[in-house]
Amino acid sequence: MTPALQADRLGKRYSQAWALREATFEVPAGAVVGLVGPNGAGKSTLLQMTIGLLEPTEGRVAVFGATSRANRADTLGRVSYVAQDHPLYRDFSVGDMFRFGRHMNPRWDQALAQQRMKVLGIPLNRKIKRLSGGQQAQVALAMALAKRAPLLVLDEPVASLDPVARVEFMREVMAAVADTGLTVVIASHVVSELERICDHVIVLTEGRMQLAGQVDELVGCHWLLTGPRTGARAGFPGMVVHRADSDRHSTVLIRTHPGRPALPDWQTQPVGFEELVLAYLQRPAATTASDPDRAQRLPGSVTKAVSR
Amino acid sequence: MFQFRLDPASGVPPYLQLVHQVRQSLLLGYLREGDRLPTVKDLASDLALNPNTVVKAYRQLEHEGLAGGRPGQGTFITGTLSPATPDTHKALRGSLERWLREADEAGLSEEAVTALVAVVRYELRKEGVV
Amino acid sequence: MTWVTWRQHRGEALGGLALIGALALVLLWLSGPMRFAFSTDGLAGCVAASARGGGCLTRIQSFMSQFGFTFNQLLLTLILIPGLIGVIVGAPLLGREFEQGTWRMAWSQTVPRTRWLVTKLALVTGGLVVLGAAMTAVFTWYRSPMDQLTGHLTWAAFDFEGVVLTAYLLCAFAFAVLAGLLIRRSVSAMVAAFIPWLVIRGMVDFGLRPHFLRPLTSRLPRSASINFGPNMVPPMTGHLGDNVLGVTTTAVNQLVSYQPADWFWRLQFTEAGLYLVLTAAAIGTAVWLLHRRAA
Repeated sequence: MTPALQADRLGKRYSQAWALREATFEVPAGAVVGLVGPNGAGKSTLLQMTIGLLEPTEGRVAVFGATSRANRADTLGRVSYVAQDHPLYRDFSVGDMFRFGRHMNPRWDQALAQQRMKVLGIPLNRKIKRLSGGQQAQVALAMALAKRAPLLVLDEPVASLDPVARVEFMREVMAAVADTGLTVVIASHVVSELERICDHVIVLTEGRMQLAGQVDELVGCHWLLTGPRTGARAGFPGMVVHRADSDRHSTVLIRTHPGRPALPDWQTQPVGFEELVLAYLQRPAATTASDPDRAQRLPGSVTKAVSR
Repeated sequence: MFQFRLDPASGVPPYLQLVHQVRQSLLLGYLREGDRLPTVKDLASDLALNPNTVVKAYRQLEHEGLAGGRPGQGTFITGTLSPATPDTHKALRGSLERWLREADEAGLSEEAVTALVAVVRYELRKEGVV
Repeated sequence: MTWVTWRQHRGEALGGLALIGALALVLLWLSGPMRFAFSTDGLAGCVAASARGGGCLTRIQSFMSQFGFTFNQLLLTLILIPGLIGVIVGAPLLGREFEQGTWRMAWSQTVPRTRWLVTKLALVTGGLVVLGAAMTAVFTWYRSPMDQLTGHLTWAAFDFEGVVLTAYLLCAFAFAVLAGLLIRRSVSAMVAAFIPWLVIRGMVDFGLRPHFLRPLTSRLPRSASINFGPNMVPPMTGHLGDNVLGVTTTAVNQLVSYQPADWFWRLQFTEAGLYLVLTAAAIGTAVWLLHRRAA
């Protein structure tokens, strides 16, 4: 099956600084991927290269097998996009926005867009500026879904919304996934909300990928070791992701092969999704390369997808 | 229709929470054989939850013999969970009394005992045992 | 894209319509007394009859002293209008998309951003050409009595008639579109485009226009008194409306350099051409830059 999204050493440089470097990953069709990272990590850059708004400096990104080229109709038509804070023309009415969508996209499901507004109770003749933030986000989402593209990209669309509006928005996205087997990439810096939506995750910091893979697989191969304080740096199976040492005990997060490791000196616990992602978010960007050989053989490794 | 809820702070994977809720409800009698569970789409939409997670939970329930899908009609409860018999209860009570006496002799305060129970239960939950 | 362009510029289009209407009404009201005086004094017939000499000079002079000054003052302010309209329409075209962040929505639809821009520019330019032609028509009508006395080469007529007004409008528009792309703010782009436009207007009007074509020379006796500017009655260089640019005194006579009145269209097209080259350069740069990168 062609992966819905595939990046191969994707990178983008602005003048002297690299916003994104060596991004390589694969997302299967029908997945819901969380793209996590702090502000400025390169999430928007990655997404804009995927949808055809930005041209890569190096590498490539492909949607369902076709390389994304900026400013080309075939790339643009393959992906639906809701940008950060769901921008819309404030003086347009909801109906105007849909008409805009119809004129700007050859494949447009007007009935779907109207149906969604009906269900949500948003009148078509209301001006966008008179809608609440949550309603505006719903209009932007309706436009994206009416485009009927197989990949939906959401760039922190709910960051500025209240919790209720956020949940309402994600409800609609999940319903669309259940209905049509849509592939979704959702960028966010709020990790806690992603666990229930995502089955895949990509972690980015400072333009570098720290982690990529299926959530269940990743959770299954990470373990939190707690025990009396030790200075030992080596002797851990797999790779050390993060360690914290206090006066009396040490806590080490390791990544290894699936299956609980047998370590008599340590109390071994599985790691939750949020804790796992946060640990990777805190790693300095450069450490990805520090364990290349070991990392190669582990599932979810960012270097694994590079086939030479 | 049976109402599920998710606790994001519990540290337990969502699909396991769903499975536990079904199990618990069967034990308490809220769910009975023949009851229909929500469709994947409805549940995913209600809880803002990944549909694959729902599918996974339903599959787990099928695996445990508790639920089954009827094509075109949905997923239905097919099995029951018998609550512990009086004999099992008695045996468990006995071992609990012994353990508490041991803990008391070792000098554990009531607070310490409660904390220990919470920690072990948490760990077991994360592994999907409890 | 036609509906999209219309919907986004609907306000401006209706504003333009209202402006033309208001302009026509205001000028109609203002020109009332002037036209009345013109016909009552029979100045038209007077000018025709005395193309080569005296006659109603006093009547013309009193008419000019009564209406000429205020006329030109008014037109001095109206000179800015094509520039203002151009930047007001042009700056938000790209400027507002960036300001409000809607570029990320508009250029991720299936129409590529270059095609979006080119189509929009073509349609809005068409609208501005119509607006420019309408404004020119209104001003030409307003000036018509005066023009019979001064000809069309004086700035008060030249800048408002023919094709140049539309060219000024398009040039200001083009500058503002480019400014909107570079600055990404509507109001700042308006200012950033207006100022160079104004400077160029001034430079062309006073510095370049006299040199578009090599002026003709006429010999006049040393005793003749030379007035610069448009020839009125009696016309020094032979025709009413000739534009006197300069004079050199020799031992025997005075050499007057001037632009003949029938050069009107040649000068119009030259000047309009200049502004249209600037327009094309600004628009071309904007399209090329947007094609290269969106952000």
